[in-house]
Amino acid sequence: MSILVKILLILVVGFGGLIAVAVALMLLLGCGLTLVLLLQFLGVLRRIPLGYNLRNLFVRWPTTLLTALAFTVVVSLLVMMLAFVNGLFELTQASGQTVNVLVLSDGATEESVSSLGYGDITTLNQYPAIVKDEKGEPLISWEVYLVVNQPIQNAKPGGQQRRFLQVRGLMDPARTGRVHNIALHPGGAWFTQAGVQPLPGSTTGEQAVQVVLGEGIARVLGTDQGKPSLEVGDVFPMAERQWIVVGILQSSGSTFDSEIWAKQQIVGEKFGKPSYSTVVLRTADTDAARRAAQDLSDNFKPAVAAQVETAYYEKLNGTNQSFLYAALAVASVMALGGVLGVMNTMFAAISQRQKDIGVLRILGYARWQILESFFLESLLLALIGGAIGCLLGWMVDGWSASSIISSGSGGGGRSVVFKLVVDSKILLGGLAFSLLMGNIGGLLPALSAMRVRPLESLR
Amino acid sequence: MPHYLDDWLMAFLDSPWNVIGVALFLFGVVLAYVWAPYLRLIFKSLRRNPLRTMLMSAATMKLVLSIISIWSVLWLLDLVTTERTKDFKAIVTERWQIPSQMPLSYERILQDGAAVKPGDVKPQNIMSWQFYGATLDAKKSRENLIFFFCVDPAKVLPMMEDFRDISDQERADLEDAIRAVQEDKRRIILGRDCLRRINKQVGERISLFSINYLGIDLDDCEIYATLPEGRLTLFGLMHRDRLNNALDAYERKNGKPHPLARKSLNLVWLQIPDTVTYGQLADQIGSSSSFTDPAVKMETASSGIAAFLDAYRDMLWGMRWLLVPAILAVLSLVMATAISISVRERRTEMAVLKVLGFGPTPIMLMVLAEAVLIGTVSGFVSACGTWLVINKVMGGLRFPIAFFPPFRVPLDALWWGPMIGGLTALVGSIVPAWSARSVRVAQVFAKLA
Repeated sequence: MSILVKILLILVVGFGGLIAVAVALMLLLGCGLTLVLLLQFLGVLRRIPLGYNLRNLFVRWPTTLLTALAFTVVVSLLVMMLAFVNGLFELTQASGQTVNVLVLSDGATEESVSSLGYGDITTLNQYPAIVKDEKGEPLISWEVYLVVNQPIQNAKPGGQQRRFLQVRGLMDPARTGRVHNIALHPGGAWFTQAGVQPLPGSTTGEQAVQVVLGEGIARVLGTDQGKPSLEVGDVFPMAERQWIVVGILQSSGSTFDSEIWAKQQIVGEKFGKPSYSTVVLRTADTDAARRAAQDLSDNFKPAVAAQVETAYYEKLNGTNQSFLYAALAVASVMALGGVLGVMNTMFAAISQRQKDIGVLRILGYARWQILESFFLESLLLALIGGAIGCLLGWMVDGWSASSIISSGSGGGGRSVVFKLVVDSKILLGGLAFSLLMGNIGGLLPALSAMRVRPLESLR
Repeated sequence: MPHYLDDWLMAFLDSPWNVIGVALFLFGVVLAYVWAPYLRLIFKSLRRNPLRTMLMSAATMKLVLSIISIWSVLWLLDLVTTERTKDFKAIVTERWQIPSQMPLSYERILQDGAAVKPGDVKPQNIMSWQFYGATLDAKKSRENLIFFFCVDPAKVLPMMEDFRDISDQERADLEDAIRAVQEDKRRIILGRDCLRRINKQVGERISLFSINYLGIDLDDCEIYATLPEGRLTLFGLMHRDRLNNALDAYERKNGKPHPLARKSLNLVWLQIPDTVTYGQLADQIGSSSSFTDPAVKMETASSGIAAFLDAYRDMLWGMRWLLVPAILAVLSLVMATAISISVRERRTEMAVLKVLGFGPTPIMLMVLAEAVLIGTVSGFVSACGTWLVINKVMGGLRFPIAFFPPFRVPLDALWWGPMIGGLTALVGSIVPAWSARSVRVAQVFAKLA
């Protein structure tokens, strides 16, 4: 690192530290003032001229509007960005069962890079911790997960030409559904033992591969055919074959929502992946799952990487965390702009109202009440702008989006279709963020208003 | 004029943007000379309330910083997904599946472009890629993970654009490292961030425990050198023979090939002179009977990257069409608020100016010029600061998109900054400037009276 860079680093860190201390002090003071405000509303302390501040906001409405708008834009964007990240978090949290153990090949962090073809692992079927169903069969799901590159039907020139589809090949779909606690929507069925059926309308006897789709991917594939979603009986092309939908999974809110399930032998052969990538075992309870995961990781031969299923999906939050930090960083920088804007407005308001402040002081209002009065004005601005911003941000709740989740430590990650989620925590956070901006932006001008001398201001 | 100065001048004038820039600068100088009295007034106005000027400037700098950061990400993504028409690369991968896994034997056929008959074309050069992921410990902890590209070292410099713009010293070092890897296949070259992450030094020897080629662990790898800063900073380069020899040894030892032995070729780059050759090669490869298990596809590098980025399309759309406009809107609002307050405070001054003979338009232009001046200067300062801090201090923006390393702020940001600052200030100050233009002298003096 060159000397110049080192000096710059020291300056940046030093300057950043000073700013952090200043902001902390201002926040402390702001919190104190907010407490005083509360006491005033409760009647413990003498009240400040609130009506005066409110009237001022209305009289100078263009400036009020512009400043509040800045808060609105910043807060609405923050809410939208957090809704995106929250949607991804909720997706990974809703995927997986605490009683399931997910087994991948040794060293693999994600299913896309796992291959269990290195030795005989069929002994897993006899693993004692596995729960059995009514017929005495172990609740174990043998799966191969792969990502297929699909040219988009009727793609617009210059637009998106291909997409990646997540295909899960299964031995026994009904059993897999039980292990993952996923049922089919009424009217659908699991694919048959053969996994194929005659293609409707085909005169050549062509066989279509039966598939079960997640709700999200059914919507995405439906757009190719101008439908809101593919339904049972619909056919779509993938990898030079026709695939017919026989069921839609009740998978909303989980990563399975973005998957296509089909017969393992067919997809394994078609895509050159004859071995399994994943085995999921159902155990009796959370403790049993944890013990089984540990035991399999330590003692099973050939070596495998086993973990509780929920822990696996939690690890896929690596990219979400990075998105969250990026969203907060962008919002913070934008907020700083908003803070400087409100500071400007409040300084101008104070310089224009020097005489008003003088009159208020002569009427008997103490310095701290003047401070409170102007501080409250900026908080009001922030509250109005922030509330509108929260409302605007709330509108994206339930919107569909696509992204990638991954552990962020090698491996491929998986593309998912998910819904943006705006919850009360995000709305409260947005409002608090707005008040924080108003707090920091309003405090310095309010302090300067407090220092106005009554006689000098009226001269 | 000295010869080198003459060359430099001719090179400078080669770019139409340089000529336009110089013309604009000269035009600005002429305007400044003609409008010197106005400029004095503008500077006086800005000095009158230094606190407000400072706040406006600080807000502009912060917001320009965010936009430049976001644009730096989008700019690079746009750049790598823009199709070229000459001297570009095509990528051959497995047709239907990712990650692509092809037999190594495909490489030989692709070298000839799957040519079978006279008139068939061949690529100018090819480079094959094999991916090897490994950790430094047998427990395979994530913190020690290194992702290697196993390549033919001789192809690194001719084929990889990443190393085209490095300094002479870096090039000499890299050439030396490549020679050393060719001489001793146990040598590896690591990216600087990768080396930092695993906390090792050049010269140390490490053992690698594979996570994708189970059973193919590589002992005694010497970290010979580091790669120049750039896209590969998180990765490592290894001689392809090291991996392929280990796969052969596995077969000899176990009496059967490694499960991934027929899937060890991940992708192949083909260097292609033009789009006509590309089309012909795509036909040859697409129709070749040599590529059936698995089938392959050929696409341009930009198209391949665009397909990978598709998973992020909603987020990128949001960054481009929500985030950036919103930041611009906040910046305009901050400017509009500050300038409108300033105009309201100076209504008397504007009335006096009108009495002194200043027309409505010059007054409006003065207000606009104040805003644009603050915006442009603050934008430029912010752009320089952003470039310096992100590139030199932070080592790039770490944004988790696909396989991209930390994003660096391009030099173009030095004109983005003043442009963003100046234009948003102009937009934000139009209404206040119009109100300054419409100040009525009689009304203002009647109020004063």
